[in-house]
Amino acid sequence: MMRRFLSQRRQKKTPSLIAQRLQQRNDPTLTLSTSLQQNMETFKTVLGSPHDLLIRSFTIGNTKHSCAVIAIDGLANCDMLDTQVLGQIQLMISTASKVVPTEPDEIVGMLYEEVLSVVEISKATDLTKILEGILSGDTAIFVDGSTEVIIVDSKGWKTRAIEEPVSEGLVRGPRDGFTESIRDNTVHIRRRIKDPNLRFEGSIIGRRSRTDVIIAYIENIVDPELLDEVRRRISTIDVDEIEESGFIEQWIEDDFLSPFPQIHNTERPDKVSGALFQGRIAILVDSTPMVLILPVTIGLLLHSPEDYYERWIVGSLARLLRYLAAFLAVYSPAFYIALVTFHPGLIPSDLAFSIAATRDGVPFPAFVEAIMMVTTMELLQEAGLRLPKPIGQTIGIVGGLVIGDAAVSAGIVSPVMVIVVALTAIASFAIPSYHLAIAFRMIRFFAMLMAAIFGIYGVVLSLIAIMIHLSNLTSIGYPYLAPLAPHMPKDWKDMILRAPVTFLKTRPDALHTKDENRMNTGGS
Amino acid sequence: MSAQTLAEKMISKNHMGINIASVTIGVGILTFPRSLAKATGAFDGWISVVISGLCACLIGWLLAKLAARFPRKTFFEYSSIIASKPIAYILTFLVCIYTMLFVSFEIRAIGNIAKQYLFYNTPVEMITLSFLLIVQYSVVGSRIAMLRLNLLFLPVVLVVMFIVLLFTTQLFEIENIRPFFSSDWRSLLAGSKDVGLSYSGFEIILFYTMLMKNPQEGTRAVTLGLSIPFLLYMTIYMFVIGVFSADVATNLTYPTIELAKEVEIPGGFFERVESIFFTIWIMTIFNTCAMWLDITVLNLSSMFFNVHKTVWVLILSPVIYFVAMLPQNLVDFFTFADSVTYFGIAVVYLCPILLLIIAILRGVKSNE
Repeated sequence: MMRRFLSQRRQKKTPSLIAQRLQQRNDPTLTLSTSLQQNMETFKTVLGSPHDLLIRSFTIGNTKHSCAVIAIDGLANCDMLDTQVLGQIQLMISTASKVVPTEPDEIVGMLYEEVLSVVEISKATDLTKILEGILSGDTAIFVDGSTEVIIVDSKGWKTRAIEEPVSEGLVRGPRDGFTESIRDNTVHIRRRIKDPNLRFEGSIIGRRSRTDVIIAYIENIVDPELLDEVRRRISTIDVDEIEESGFIEQWIEDDFLSPFPQIHNTERPDKVSGALFQGRIAILVDSTPMVLILPVTIGLLLHSPEDYYERWIVGSLARLLRYLAAFLAVYSPAFYIALVTFHPGLIPSDLAFSIAATRDGVPFPAFVEAIMMVTTMELLQEAGLRLPKPIGQTIGIVGGLVIGDAAVSAGIVSPVMVIVVALTAIASFAIPSYHLAIAFRMIRFFAMLMAAIFGIYGVVLSLIAIMIHLSNLTSIGYPYLAPLAPHMPKDWKDMILRAPVTFLKTRPDALHTKDENRMNTGGS
Repeated sequence: MSAQTLAEKMISKNHMGINIASVTIGVGILTFPRSLAKATGAFDGWISVVISGLCACLIGWLLAKLAARFPRKTFFEYSSIIASKPIAYILTFLVCIYTMLFVSFEIRAIGNIAKQYLFYNTPVEMITLSFLLIVQYSVVGSRIAMLRLNLLFLPVVLVVMFIVLLFTTQLFEIENIRPFFSSDWRSLLAGSKDVGLSYSGFEIILFYTMLMKNPQEGTRAVTLGLSIPFLLYMTIYMFVIGVFSADVATNLTYPTIELAKEVEIPGGFFERVESIFFTIWIMTIFNTCAMWLDITVLNLSSMFFNVHKTVWVLILSPVIYFVAMLPQNLVDFFTFADSVTYFGIAVVYLCPILLLIIAILRGVKSNE
């Protein structure tokens, strides 16, 4: 469905909004002229003389040839402009080691070839290109009489320092996390993968936001079909702004009706480089630390990089625990409802009596009781998320007290229900990826409803229904339940258990990698 | 979607084997020890299990041969190549009726058993309807995804069965299985017929071979697929007789579930294991049902290919539900089950074998 939807969209790249506006106005003054004065006026008109526009005029050489520098204050690194651009020009003039030519085009050529000591530098005559450069932090140097403009890369705004990822903490593993600057993020990956085949394929998405988006992959590992499909899907994106990688995720995912995330996001560079080595693709988006990893399987979402860093027994047990947590997070309230309402006979009689005794005086059926408690839990979780950290702890205390004690002594819920809800909450916090945990939280209500109608039979029906959904689900065309269904026995070593590293000789079968071997297995 | 390679949309030999095992292991396994014990009256029923297993294997082998002659062709297509279009229409239509009745039987069985072991007040109608809705949901999705569910559910079911058997070993009394070889061959044959009904299901090879990567491997898939239920039936029959003795087993409606009832998990965490056991068993009955409904839809769409799958499911479901609700009591229900199976023997065993003979005589093969 999604595919049909995507293919109907125009495939061609839309021109940027700046270009559109320039075309629409069709104003003769909006092209570059030879007159410096006029060019400055043009820029002021187009940009509307904003407060942060920097224009510095100066003259060159004996002929006092007038020139100007345009940049956006804050985006461009002023220190660098002072020393490498203006400084160099002034130096040249003061030492007069060169004879400054009189022809404007020759001045441009000399500045470009000899004077400016900057690596990233280019010439342009196209107004839109210059404008885009300036708006992304470049500096344009105009020389009176010439339509050629020198563009110096002077991007240098303030970025956040590298910090430990907040949403994905680890005991063992690197402490650095991605930041909002896409350049820093590519550096993180490049530092971990010194393979010449690492590719960063850049494109600009968003008519107004003009956001840098990079597709990262390792050329001779990744499945070419996957790469083409990702490129195709990204090329269909035609929207005003890409504020966060979530925009891209939602645009290219397979099934927008599914509660399950079909694309992983992370702010851990080690996770991304690990995924690239496996033959997956990462998508980096400027101005967000969240990097997308695709395709994913449900197994990958339940794995944590730590599983690989710790010894294999620890990693395997941790994974088993997480699968158990996933099950408890979805089904423990449902089981409580089913057992208490329909099948008290299934519980050992002593326990059944004590549960019945604690439920004595609770005015609601188990389903209503469970819904109330689980909803309260969701509220607490959401509230704790929004509040600043110091107050967030208060929420925990208040919530814990209210739920744990007051609700029970007020006779609204039974103590066993409190245990069940606490267990559910703890289990859902043990799931390493937040977006998968949210999916489980949603499904929990479905399971509870089924349990309330059909008891344990309903629980199994809901399990079957979820499995049907998961089995139908794909991530960029790759089956979501990959090593289990379809069967890929080779991949089981790294699914529920994590085999010792020496046994993990191949990359995941499910990804159809070009280079399957991860290690030298002897032979040639 | 597009990135998924063609090879992954096809099914392998092992997957086909597991499909056959899942479709065979359904409701029959819960009841067959009763009819077998009734027919043979002794432990010797295992010989019947072997005889019928071999028969099933032979028939399955023939059916696989037939389907393998026409790779990538639906049942309707190859039967019309072999024996003209009108006959193909009639035959496929009869197959559709059979598979549809089978779905009715399975969902009604779910309703009956759930009513007996899980519910006190919930009406059978609602239990059955909810199950049918889940089956619909799975059939409306992609076919390969539905078949992949077998891979997920069958191991779970086998593990649970294994646990039940493990815990009943202590109740096994050697006295119950003596004397050996006391039944005459007549009763053994009668018993084979009864077990044979529980083996039905492997005929899906006729319809799903077109999805196989290598259709020639169909015969091996049948052998693999039948060996799992064969071993399971043998063990279960031995345990049922060993634990209950043949006389008691004759009077139990669902001896296999009763076997689970005898289990006591140490530590007393669960009581009434039979409810849990049946709950898990729903998964495999679901697989059976989903495959049968899917085959019905598959055959109907091979005849009338411009009607969408979802439409067929929506048309069929009320009929299936209505038929499932027809039997008034357990006796009616089992009579219904028997007549469905006899109908099935004619339609999906005898007719296809006849087709195979004609195909060999006429030398018809697919152009591929």
